[in-house]
Amino acid sequence: MAANTEREAIVWRGSSFSYQWLDQSWRLWRSRLESAGLTPQSVVALEADFSPAAIAALLALIEHGCVVVPLLRSARGDRQRTYDIAQAQHRLRISETEDWDLAPLAGKADHQHYQTLRERGHPGLVLFSSGTSGEPKAAVHDAVPLLDKFRTRRPAWRTVAFLLFDHIGGINTIFNTLSNGATLITVEDRSPDAVCAAIEQSRAEVLPASPTFLRLLLLSSAQERFDLSSVKVVNYGTEPMSEATLKRLRESFPNAQLLQSYGLAEVGILRSKSKSDESVWLKVGGEGIETRVVDGILQIKSPSTMLGYLNAPSPFTEDGWFVTGDAVEVDGDYLKIVGRRSELINVGGEKVYPSEVEEVIEAMANVEAATVYGEAHLLMGNIVCARVALVESEDEGKFAVRLKRHCRERLPSYQVPVKVSVVGRELIGERFKKLRTHES
Amino acid sequence: MSPDQPVVDAINSAIDDLNEILDSEERLGQSPEIALIGNDARLDSLGLVNLIVLVEEKIQQRFGVAITLVDERAMSQSKSPFRTLGSLTDFVEEQLNDHGR
Repeated sequence: MAANTEREAIVWRGSSFSYQWLDQSWRLWRSRLESAGLTPQSVVALEADFSPAAIAALLALIEHGCVVVPLLRSARGDRQRTYDIAQAQHRLRISETEDWDLAPLAGKADHQHYQTLRERGHPGLVLFSSGTSGEPKAAVHDAVPLLDKFRTRRPAWRTVAFLLFDHIGGINTIFNTLSNGATLITVEDRSPDAVCAAIEQSRAEVLPASPTFLRLLLLSSAQERFDLSSVKVVNYGTEPMSEATLKRLRESFPNAQLLQSYGLAEVGILRSKSKSDESVWLKVGGEGIETRVVDGILQIKSPSTMLGYLNAPSPFTEDGWFVTGDAVEVDGDYLKIVGRRSELINVGGEKVYPSEVEEVIEAMANVEAATVYGEAHLLMGNIVCARVALVESEDEGKFAVRLKRHCRERLPSYQVPVKVSVVGRELIGERFKKLRTHES
Repeated sequence: MSPDQPVVDAINSAIDDLNEILDSEERLGQSPEIALIGNDARLDSLGLVNLIVLVEEKIQQRFGVAITLVDERAMSQSKSPFRTLGSLTDFVEEQLNDHGR
């Protein structure tokens, strides 16, 4: 980290925080961790969002040799279950007003991957990723190889912290920005207007974002209401991009390079190179990274690959390749990400497991069975749709409203079906389930 | 051009359905100036998608015509058809006219 300077490290709520501030702040955090009796390799759930205190605490935890589990403060869902999966021993919560609270948890941290980190004496990072089992999978990283690539100096560009704090993309943004002595620009919320206002005010140069957000931005015409001329790079990833959207981006950001990134919670963000600004084809590689395509699915071998999952079987082949589950097309050295082979539905970069939503619908009164599937939608990438068989007939429109209300109370909003259709009971059974993969 | 009443009715009925699902602070009114996207909009992206799909369904039910409101054409218009309820209504009418109604 480029320390000891007056350079601006973080912009948060209109205030500027220098590298000197950050340097002092993470040292203060280290002494707090020490006084609290946190030993190296302690597993700590860090519940926060992008803020100066959260970033200083993250750096201190890693420097202290801890295993950090970054969690988004505002995320819904079963928090206790998350602690249990992570075997977290402490919880450090940083509030919206930068107040903090460190409390012990019941986790034992005795998983073999944690043992490995202890033997190596290395800090770690646990990132949750989507899986087909219906429960997010916890990927354990050795922080040393994961962060090693940040030793290579890159341009110091003012970067928007758009990707989420608990995602590999958000973590990558923090380290990529700070290791180069650049400035991290945090945003109040992730609406096109808030992000564009932050770009205009802070003269941001890099916008890492998802294709869904970029489509939303174009639709809202925010690019015409704000001065975005400072943007030199628009970086997109996490879901497939359409060429039509890319072309529109080209027109709206004539001075910016449009770059696709490829990253997964399990392997980190890999260096990648787009064929051209208007191409969705990319070359993935970089230091020590190998790729191969087996049965149309991308496999990766990389020094920054995780040790493994805490709560799922090993996804590695016998010869040590990570099977990404991403279906790709190949053209020479270039790849095109087609989508997940599995039936996961990607709604604006958020993953939806059909089985999880089906379970909630099937708990409703008068519902016989439900099948949930994704349908392509230009705005969100995909939308969630449900076919439901009823016990007794019911007005379809009213039922759809009842279903959506029921789901909204129990699921995050992106998992709630947008389209609902009532089908006959003859579709229940084996064929009914098969429709998910064959007809959607 | 004053909008066609049956189209306005269909869109209002889509809003009624949407409001039944939304939290009270997100609920939409029915005047043409209501912003659907941008700074003044109450809807988030999922709310907008829900509204669009509901409007498509109501149009299908009432006019027997399947329209797709979000397509490359909508994306490529210099003025987004989803700015306000009024611009959405105009866009729906345009699409219906294209279907020879």
